[in-house]
Amino acid sequence: MGEAAPLTPAPAVRVQGFGKRYRRQAAVAGVDLEVRRGEIYGLIGPDGAGKSSLMKAVAGVLAFEEGSIEMFGIRIDSEAAAERVKGRLGFMPQGLGLNLYPELSVEENIDFFARLRGVPAAEIAARKAKLLAMTRLDRFTGRPMKHLSGGMKQKLGLVCTLIHEPELIVLDEPTTGVDPVSRRDFWAILAELLREKGITALISTAYMDEAERFHRLSLMHGGRVLASGEPDAIRARTPGSVVELEAEPQVEALDRIQASLAQAESVGPRLRVFVDDAAPEAAVGTVAGLLKGLSLRDLHATTPDLEDAFVALLRRQRLVEERVVAKPRAGDGDPPGDDVAILAKDLTRDFDGFRAVDRASFTVHQGDIFGLVGANGAGKTTLIKMLTGILPPSDGEGRVAGADMHFAAQAIKARIGYTSQAFSLYQDLSVLENLRLYARIYGVARHAAGERIEQVAELTGLTGRERQLAGRLPLGIRQRLALACALVHRPRILFLDEPTSGVDPIGRRRFWDILVHLARVEQVAILITTHYMSEAEHCDRLALMHAGRIVADDPPAALKQALREEAGELLEVATDRPLAAMALLEQAGFAGVALFGRHIHLFARDAHTATREIQTILAGRGIGLASVTPRPPSLEDVFVYRITALEQGEQRL
Amino acid sequence: MNSRLTLWWSRLAAMTVKELLQLFRDGFLMFAIVFLFTADIYMTRNVRLELNHATVVVHDADHSAASRELIYRFRPPYFQLGGEIQDSREGQALLDQGQALAVLDIPPYFQRDLQSGRPTDVQVLVDTSNTVLGTLAASYSGQIIGRYGFEAALARMGASEASLDTVPMIQDQHRVWYNPNQNDAWFIPISELLTVITVMAIMLPAAAAVREKERGTIEQLLVSPLTPALILLPKVISMTLVILAGTAISLFLVLVPVFGVPIKGSLPLFFAVTTLYTVATSGLGLYIATLSRNLAQAAMLAIFILMPMVFLSGAWTPPEAMPAGLREAMYLSPLYYFIEMGYGILLKGAGLDVLWDSLLGLTLLGVGIFGFGVRRFRRQFG
Repeated sequence: MGEAAPLTPAPAVRVQGFGKRYRRQAAVAGVDLEVRRGEIYGLIGPDGAGKSSLMKAVAGVLAFEEGSIEMFGIRIDSEAAAERVKGRLGFMPQGLGLNLYPELSVEENIDFFARLRGVPAAEIAARKAKLLAMTRLDRFTGRPMKHLSGGMKQKLGLVCTLIHEPELIVLDEPTTGVDPVSRRDFWAILAELLREKGITALISTAYMDEAERFHRLSLMHGGRVLASGEPDAIRARTPGSVVELEAEPQVEALDRIQASLAQAESVGPRLRVFVDDAAPEAAVGTVAGLLKGLSLRDLHATTPDLEDAFVALLRRQRLVEERVVAKPRAGDGDPPGDDVAILAKDLTRDFDGFRAVDRASFTVHQGDIFGLVGANGAGKTTLIKMLTGILPPSDGEGRVAGADMHFAAQAIKARIGYTSQAFSLYQDLSVLENLRLYARIYGVARHAAGERIEQVAELTGLTGRERQLAGRLPLGIRQRLALACALVHRPRILFLDEPTSGVDPIGRRRFWDILVHLARVEQVAILITTHYMSEAEHCDRLALMHAGRIVADDPPAALKQALREEAGELLEVATDRPLAAMALLEQAGFAGVALFGRHIHLFARDAHTATREIQTILAGRGIGLASVTPRPPSLEDVFVYRITALEQGEQRL
Repeated sequence: MNSRLTLWWSRLAAMTVKELLQLFRDGFLMFAIVFLFTADIYMTRNVRLELNHATVVVHDADHSAASRELIYRFRPPYFQLGGEIQDSREGQALLDQGQALAVLDIPPYFQRDLQSGRPTDVQVLVDTSNTVLGTLAASYSGQIIGRYGFEAALARMGASEASLDTVPMIQDQHRVWYNPNQNDAWFIPISELLTVITVMAIMLPAAAAVREKERGTIEQLLVSPLTPALILLPKVISMTLVILAGTAISLFLVLVPVFGVPIKGSLPLFFAVTTLYTVATSGLGLYIATLSRNLAQAAMLAIFILMPMVFLSGAWTPPEAMPAGLREAMYLSPLYYFIEMGYGILLKGAGLDVLWDSLLGLTLLGVGIFGFGVRRFRRQFG
């Protein structure tokens, strides 16, 4: 069992001096790590950090040049050695359901993998029933895999990986592209497996906020490990404090802070500053000193999260690109004319009897950053298609940039900017060629185009890269090029469809710097969809979509406040036996019990009584309780709570 | 209104330039285009549809002067002797293995019978699994043997070879037009060029459109103020330009200098017809693009459409050899009209006065095909 931590002779995985090259380029170099039996070990880093190469090598499906990998004490240095441990190993490659067969049903997929792995026929039925029940896929056994939702595909992938009862599972980005509810569900299933079977898991992710799910982890960047250890230990590597505040005017406050502190960003209405090597009080003092004369509210210090630590680590190792601060220029800030940018009233869209969007109503003002979150299939894409003039609504009304959706789709298209999920640029064209193409498509006058292209290139930090092919750019820069292309005709409204998947935290921060500049200084209205709940924090307003309807539409702070009023305080319970404790607390009827690494999260109406109750329950079973601390709920907590409540309501009907 | 038109042209030009840039940077596609328009056609240099040193083996049971005389009439360039065999079963084996195209079997007493005026039989076994070559071999050997028999009969009657001219008989005076040397070194490369143009006209626009789907750039275009026409026309225009350039290169660097193809008709007419054909056929490419999600699927579908189109075109099988039903179906293959006009202009020097019906056929069919492709494209991306 994970928490009993028996002294085992060999760790599940030991990697030493691992290195992998593709052609002449080193993808990974000098990686050391050790995964102990029974733990969930995380590899966290952006796309291109080398996570996949390392995982594939561990799974025995990728040859490598440098270093050694041992599994259960057996050195994997030949096909034969890899063959010997294969039965004890389960591997799920990256990509939603890519290892599954779309035409086969859920059951047929499982049966196929069971036979492939030589599971005795007598045992298949029992194992299948158990795993299907655990993943709640048992109602869908006859459904072809291609008709499953993203979260269900991922769960089916997990079942197929587990059918031969491996001791170690290697999961490559299992939560990428999956909505927060399915993601949390996935982690719960994993925790249960850990509890029941004591398996070991090596899991990679690009989401920094999933770090708390791991017992130990390695932060990766550019093919190297930046730091390894428990999340707390990694945070301790970069001493400092985070200061949060609201300041008026925000743009000036951010400018002043960034002039002397490198790690500062605006998150929605708040500013968030990391102050190196400073105790909380000192950090607050430093920031207050920089902002003399501005009106400040709610100035306080909090503990840095892993993303803060990651950025600080990169900064200290001088791996950060020069920051180009977008400065407002004369003439850039068009006066906000029609204040309402997007007006949606009962927008509805039906497809052959299926209602994809159901009476969606909301308003976005110029200068607002409006977030749209929801599971895959909740109707976000259809809603965006209507708003961008691609799809006429079946019912309801909408005005975008002053043009009516029903009659002036072409006018809408000309007035908005749009970047799609895949940063769909012409990869075989250069930066400049891409910008010129979009300038001409959007009818920017020839004499004005040159200057405007220069402007957007400077704003997005592309100056000096004009001749490079888009396909050769790193992901984060490619994303900024997509943004630049969308801005070339000075749109008053910008649509961003999941613009930051897979981009590293630094790239994401730079991207948001630009967006904030556009919204605050140039009064551009921005509508953005995202799966990153940490990113949703940046939005001024957030609309939550579920089953085609908008079920909440408020600023993030108000959403969190509503959660507190409805569900109570979020408590973090630290114990020495989290798995056993979790089962007890669930039985005791606490809401939203979830495992985060070694900690348990739950909701309680009253923190004091709940703490006493938890103490009694755990003491009764001899489980040591280290602490119960209230935590501010994240937007992910909000999302999961709201959607779960809705889903339960639907099931009751 | 005027500025709107300017904007339309500017967008069209920008997108066309984009398509060309993308194509030129695609190393594989560029290689395929250059290869197909030059090397592929050049390689047909040695392909003939006539007998070229076909191997004949002989079973000579007579071993006389007469039999030797007959045997040595099977000469290059049409035939070559593949040696003598001891019994006819061996000949059968050589035919089965494909080592000989024909077996000449001369019976015993061949010379004696011939000279005494008794009828004598010579057997020729021919492998006609390749009908064209087999039929030619059968017909040529029949001519050789018949002429030999005729001469032998004359000789027995005491007439010399020279007096042959005095024998009353019909002189077959046929004249071969358009291709007087019956040089299929012209026919094959032109066929190949027209087929390559067809492949390119379907594949290039399909590839350009599918690539946008694969990489997700189509989404970006759909949200832009471009109309579907402004997305698809630049693909057709740019790919047509590339195909015309390829055709010119093929014509002036391969067909004329290497094969000596005479260009008897009007070149502008030929290129005009090629343009019409390319644009018409690109409709099929656009249709394929709406059906497929990636390049592999597009390529499979293209083959699916190309095979019957080439088969029904007369490129390899002349209309005269088609059964009744298929002969009418040929009117549905745009390549049929293109080949009619291609040969007509290049080899016969025909003009519109002769080819107007083919041109009309291609135009009608082309409007149909292109319109269909465009409609499907607009329905998917409109």
